[in-house]
Amino acid sequence: MVEIDISLMGKDVLQLAFDNCIRCSTCKYSYKGFEPSCPSGEKFLFESYWASGKIRIIRGVVTGELEWSEDLKDAIFACPTCGACMDACQAPHADYIVDMIEALRELAVKHIGPAKNQELLVSRCEENYNPYGEPNSDNEELKKQYDLPDKANWVYYIGCTSNYRQQSLRDSTLRFLKKSGINFTLIDEHCCTSPMIRTGQLSLVKDYMNYNIAQIKNTGATKVITSCAGCYRTFKKDFEKFGEEYDFEVFHTLELVKQLLDDDKLKFKSEYNKTVTYHDPCHLGRHMGVYELPRAIYKQIPGLKLVEMRRNRNFAWCCGAGGGVKIGYPEWSVEISKERLEEAKETEATVISSVCPFCRTNLSDANDNYNFEFEVLDLMEIIDQLDIEIVK
Amino acid sequence: MTETKERNVYEKISKEDVFKKLVEIFGEKYVTNKSGDLYQYSYDMTECKPHMPDFIVIPEKTSQLIELVKFCNSNLIPIVPYISGNNVGGLTIPENGGILVDFGKKMNKILHIDNNMMYALLEPGVTFGQLKNYLDKNYPHLRYSYPYAPPYAGVVGNVILSGMNNLSCKIGSMGDSINGLEVITAGGEIVRIGSCFYGKNEASPDSWWSRYPMPDLMGLFINWQGMTGLVTKCAVQLWPNLPIKQTHIAVVFRLTDVASVMREVGRTDVIDDISAVSIEVVKMAVEIPEPKKFPDEPYFAVMFSISAKTENQFNARMEILSNEIEILNKQGKKVILINADEYVKLFNLRLRCYLDLPSVVLPLVEYSGLTWFGSYAPSHKLEELIEKVYKLFNKHNITPFIYMKMMKSSHYAIFRPIMRYNKFKEGEEKRYHKLLDEIVDVSVDLGCIPYKTPAWMTEKMRKKINPGWINLFEKIKKCMDPNSIFNPGRWNT
Repeated sequence: MVEIDISLMGKDVLQLAFDNCIRCSTCKYSYKGFEPSCPSGEKFLFESYWASGKIRIIRGVVTGELEWSEDLKDAIFACPTCGACMDACQAPHADYIVDMIEALRELAVKHIGPAKNQELLVSRCEENYNPYGEPNSDNEELKKQYDLPDKANWVYYIGCTSNYRQQSLRDSTLRFLKKSGINFTLIDEHCCTSPMIRTGQLSLVKDYMNYNIAQIKNTGATKVITSCAGCYRTFKKDFEKFGEEYDFEVFHTLELVKQLLDDDKLKFKSEYNKTVTYHDPCHLGRHMGVYELPRAIYKQIPGLKLVEMRRNRNFAWCCGAGGGVKIGYPEWSVEISKERLEEAKETEATVISSVCPFCRTNLSDANDNYNFEFEVLDLMEIIDQLDIEIVK
Repeated sequence: MTETKERNVYEKISKEDVFKKLVEIFGEKYVTNKSGDLYQYSYDMTECKPHMPDFIVIPEKTSQLIELVKFCNSNLIPIVPYISGNNVGGLTIPENGGILVDFGKKMNKILHIDNNMMYALLEPGVTFGQLKNYLDKNYPHLRYSYPYAPPYAGVVGNVILSGMNNLSCKIGSMGDSINGLEVITAGGEIVRIGSCFYGKNEASPDSWWSRYPMPDLMGLFINWQGMTGLVTKCAVQLWPNLPIKQTHIAVVFRLTDVASVMREVGRTDVIDDISAVSIEVVKMAVEIPEPKKFPDEPYFAVMFSISAKTENQFNARMEILSNEIEILNKQGKKVILINADEYVKLFNLRLRCYLDLPSVVLPLVEYSGLTWFGSYAPSHKLEELIEKVYKLFNKHNITPFIYMKMMKSSHYAIFRPIMRYNKFKEGEEKRYHKLLDEIVDVSVDLGCIPYKTPAWMTEKMRKKINPGWINLFEKIKKCMDPNSIFNPGRWNT
């Protein structure tokens, strides 16, 4: 039996690399669709960049057959951890592939450090509690602007990308929540820790999780809502993985919108006469299994024509922003989005929409860089353009 | 520096200079000597001993490969072809280091589908899944034949190594369905073989329609495991995609009766494919993790794939199959015939996926290791083979996993005991290899001929093959590859 460093968070999933994977290559393409699905493998081509290759690297470095060196960095870190491999793979370890990659990154950070620029995700947080290095917003201004109480039933956890890069999405969400009449507030947030976990840099993770839990508790809220697929995934999956328990429920804004529609409490009173294609965020789709909920909402918007891209739902091509790729491999990150927009072009949609500020950022960057002329909008921004009626 | 059994590979040129030359030929992005990249290509799913290559290259066009072959031939550097590394025989492990050519990533184009003469002209990297997808979208009336291999195994690798397919009872070995090859020989010369041999320059896409009747030079490359040249194009036959397709399963209750069931049904000439698996494998397919056969259960399940153009044709075929099963039962065999579609309904979607090839055969990918004795077998010896090999599995306390096929209307059979194991559990690899070794001895003694054969197995075979064959084989190898650059070490050359 191999010996795995027991101090590692991912020690158990690293063991899985030894019991599974014969490199059948099924992870490389959408299952039964036979379409390319792995951004990392498709870009760098050598076997080490596909999921099975990363699993093999785990075996190599743990057994000592493969020495740690800078040469391994790209194979380990140049991957958006989109999880397309998990959906394609049919072997028993399929659901743990991203966990294995993250555990490998944790190990790599210990031996050779993170990929270029990814260390900024931690150092910026250390200074300002967000990975963008922006002065920390305690959200007190927003609370005043939206007349939000200190104590409430709900907390809107904005997330760093919406708060510092996609304010239009943040503000659309805030306006919707106000209109919906729910009793909510904001907290002084620390990063949800998603970017650090994805890149194997775990030094701040538990402290930040504890901090955010304490902040939420202070408001007396029993429900947390977020408009970010990454934060949602982190709260719902990673907190538990890190042994952090909380006694509030976590929702994506989608879930609230759908609930209000189902209860006939939300009515769209104007039309959105555009053709829209929906991009599945990896952190909501493959990582959390949410595919139909957003589609059901788009379909209920009057005038909106929803069209699907060739690769959709669990086969959706990643936007390229996740897994530390946006900061570590910025040019390639936008190239991945470019491929997604090319696919969107085939649908003749004029709007590409998603429910994740990170996807919105990267799709917008590719849209601007390559002059696609799409409108890139979050679902909340589309709803913000409509007249709505909330039935109390 | 890689040492081979006979020479130091890089005595004529330094590794640094080789790297420079490779970058010049293929471009920086498509050459690597990074340890993490090389490591991936040093092993496969079997217990065959790993060995690192020195470089990996990803070719995009034939002209690059001509330059590579000339360069390697002058500098005595081994070249190892690789598509997806899915073979179960260590065939792409670079036993003597050298340059591994990964065809699977860019040299993977479907160059032409000939609708009239029903063939596909392929580059070496095309996979079964890719071809299926392409035909379904563009030529739904045509089909290829697929093995029980992962969808991302390479088509060309399978045909030139005489692999299996799911029309085996009709067409036999995949090696028989090749219409033409384009190959680079040791001198860097391009050779076109088959009806595409006319013309000095490029062959017309519609000229790859037959292998015969000229002297069959294709034999210089088929089953040679990449030891005589680099195949760069291959034309494979396609078949009409008939609208009615069904699979029926016969369960056979006595151990060796499965052999006559397969043989007799094969001779009826109405079945596309006949494959049999031990009952333990059927249980694995429905996700029973460590299955055992209980006393009164059948020993084998035989799958019969039947296709037809019309209902009448299908009913006639079914009648012939049912009659044959009835005759076998009257002869005292205990056989029950079941419609697979009904059987699948009892289980989940995964079983359906298993039947709709190309697909991942789940029991084969559930562990970290897989090995086998894949062989062409004399069909009249199947009873003896089954009995002896079954005993060996039991002796080693390893779940029997026997897979068999009847080929070309029962002219011959495929006999394939398979073992899945955990590579990293102490002692497991040794234990499974011991069983495999004993299976090889028994099966070769009964006349089986392994295909996609690992070097340790060919070493055993060479002791039994007549000296004339060995001499001729060695002479041809020497003539085709005087500097032993093409996949050295295979067949113990």
